[in-house]
Amino acid sequence: MTAEQSHDDNLLLDVKGLKTHFPIRKGLFRKVVGHVRAVDGVNLYLRKGDTLGLVGESGCGKTTTGRTIVRLLDPTAGTIRFNDPERGWVQLDSMGRKELAPIRRNIQMIFQDPFSSLNPRLTVKRIVAEPLVINGVASGDELNDRVAGLLKVVGLRPEYMSRYPHAFSGGQRQRLGIARALALNPRLIICDEPVSALDVSIQAQVLNLLEDLQTDFDLTYIFIAHDLSVVEHITNRMAVMYVGKLVELAPTDELYYSPMHPYSEALMAAVPIPDPRMRDRPIRLPGEVANPANPPSGCYFHPRCRYAESMCSQEEPQLRELAPDHWVSCHFAEQLTLRGVLDRGG
Amino acid sequence: MESHETVKPQPTPSAPPAAGTNDQTNGKDHAVLRIKDLHTYFYTVVGVAKALNGVTLDIPYGKVLGIVGESGCGKSVTALSAMQLVLPPGRIVKGEIILNRIRKQGNGFLVTDEVNITNLHPRGPIMRSIRGAEIAMIFQEPMTSLNPSYTVGNQIMEAILLHQDVSEQEARDRAIDILRRVELPNADAVVDRYPHQLSGGMRQRAMIAMALSCTPALLIADEPTTALDVTTEAEILELMRELQAQMGMTIAFITHNLGVVAQMCDEVAVMYLGRVVETAPVETIFYDPRHPYTAALLQSIPRIGSRTKKRLEPIRGVVPDPYANVPGCPFHDRCNAFMPGTCDVRVPALMPLPDSDHHEVRCFLHSDAYESENGYDG
Repeated sequence: MTAEQSHDDNLLLDVKGLKTHFPIRKGLFRKVVGHVRAVDGVNLYLRKGDTLGLVGESGCGKTTTGRTIVRLLDPTAGTIRFNDPERGWVQLDSMGRKELAPIRRNIQMIFQDPFSSLNPRLTVKRIVAEPLVINGVASGDELNDRVAGLLKVVGLRPEYMSRYPHAFSGGQRQRLGIARALALNPRLIICDEPVSALDVSIQAQVLNLLEDLQTDFDLTYIFIAHDLSVVEHITNRMAVMYVGKLVELAPTDELYYSPMHPYSEALMAAVPIPDPRMRDRPIRLPGEVANPANPPSGCYFHPRCRYAESMCSQEEPQLRELAPDHWVSCHFAEQLTLRGVLDRGG
Repeated sequence: MESHETVKPQPTPSAPPAAGTNDQTNGKDHAVLRIKDLHTYFYTVVGVAKALNGVTLDIPYGKVLGIVGESGCGKSVTALSAMQLVLPPGRIVKGEIILNRIRKQGNGFLVTDEVNITNLHPRGPIMRSIRGAEIAMIFQEPMTSLNPSYTVGNQIMEAILLHQDVSEQEARDRAIDILRRVELPNADAVVDRYPHQLSGGMRQRAMIAMALSCTPALLIADEPTTALDVTTEAEILELMRELQAQMGMTIAFITHNLGVVAQMCDEVAVMYLGRVVETAPVETIFYDPRHPYTAALLQSIPRIGSRTKKRLEPIRGVVPDPYANVPGCPFHDRCNAFMPGTCDVRVPALMPLPDSDHHEVRCFLHSDAYESENGYDG
């Protein structure tokens, strides 16, 4: 996030001060009466080959962050810089549709619900071929071969090409979504809850596939999920969000075993560990998640934080790098000794 | 169909011991609910979906029993069958569900009365008196199972007034009291709120309050935390554990999340395609699983703390659809221990392991006993 870092060739994406606000309109003239601050100041960076987990409770803005990065949504403020393999560093946040088109090939998305994200009226071939056709990459026999190849890559039989999505199970549909995302040979894939709709035995198949593809095609992932066991398994870095803000950005192991933000600590204590010998009482978070249309003053987490002091309600903490690659936004991060995911029984 | 017994919402202490007076504390003898060979089929236009294919299951008194399995394994249909809430085209075609009315006597237990739920008419007075009062249920999605046009208090009072002879004021006081017990802040105010005014976690607490309002002997919780965030989930699980200990309630906890099972349950029943394939105490399930499906399921989930980033081992293939007639053991085509000529011919029976404490497995690796030739009967 410093100047030299953003010129680092190993970086793929650099997001600074990202805000996405949605207007609340009321009355006859649809007057704007307020804003939902869905994303309200997110700083993060991705190195090539990273799998960055983006976690937080529902409504914290993780999906909005993902969608703003691919520019499905327009940011209200902030910069999104992407290291395009052909064009070098480009600034996505201010680009128009036309300019974005060639860059979008390199940033793709996989969606949560494999049932609603595939058009039921299109054959598998057309679904997977669509990005290739739109971008004029292939046609005719070559297109057929490309689609067959993609299906093979994700573990589906090319003979299924002329079938419709309804003939496939949830896991197979998610593979189709992955094949479509891979079609243009992207650098970055944003996976929005890719396995949460799947049964556990199928979930493992898709997670393994994502890991294999990452190695085979040098992919970088942003992995949005709420299942913290899955995130721990697949990511090497993590970003924790709370009410539109990034509260902690750290290597996965550090975040799980020695979190530095009180909210991360509460998340870790709540993970249901599949081991009956590791039972513990959760950390109680009093009150409810703050309303992103009317967030509290100072640190958004202070009304629920058990370590909060008067300063926390007045001053907004900044994201600071307290250890190499470990960023926290808490005034007292240095003083606190927090419990990790395995420090149970206390 | 209705038996001639009188309507009794709660077992009265003076009731004569009708079904034997076992006072051993062996969990097996004190099942609150005993399901035997239950078959529930759905007669749809495209064929018969055999949702339950011989479920045999005891829900032990005062324990939390986890019922685990993937979607379509029949865990929710088992719960709905026990409540006589299976709607057409679904129907219980075979089997028994016995509700034992149990009360504590000294150190032991006394079964005062038993009712065969399968013999009761779903809309008859006895089933109605059992449903909600003796067996209560909470569902996955609190927003769809609460009525949006009544206040939370009204909905809890309805259950109390239906099953107990109290005045409206008393019912309201009880509703507030039970809302306090589920640790809703401002219970006096929440009682007059509508469901949409509450957050997801608060709604699920209100659902639990409603289910507990008549102090049921058995609470069936069908994925009660699946729709909740992880911190809220942990709080709801802790609350359920506390209430269970305080009230001496029995809970059947239906979930697909093995983490939640490990944190919450005393006993576990693993289901696959309409049958129970293994039951054991929770430690045994996680540390000494004997059915290949249970073992495979545990291998396929990511585990926090195993610092060796090893690859997940998925179960190959997919769950067969419930219309398909798979011959033999329904898991055989995905099983790593598949024995041709045995597993694909007969259906193994659920048998206790010889040297263990209520650990039952349905697999030919452990017993030659089988329940039927050639797959599906019926």
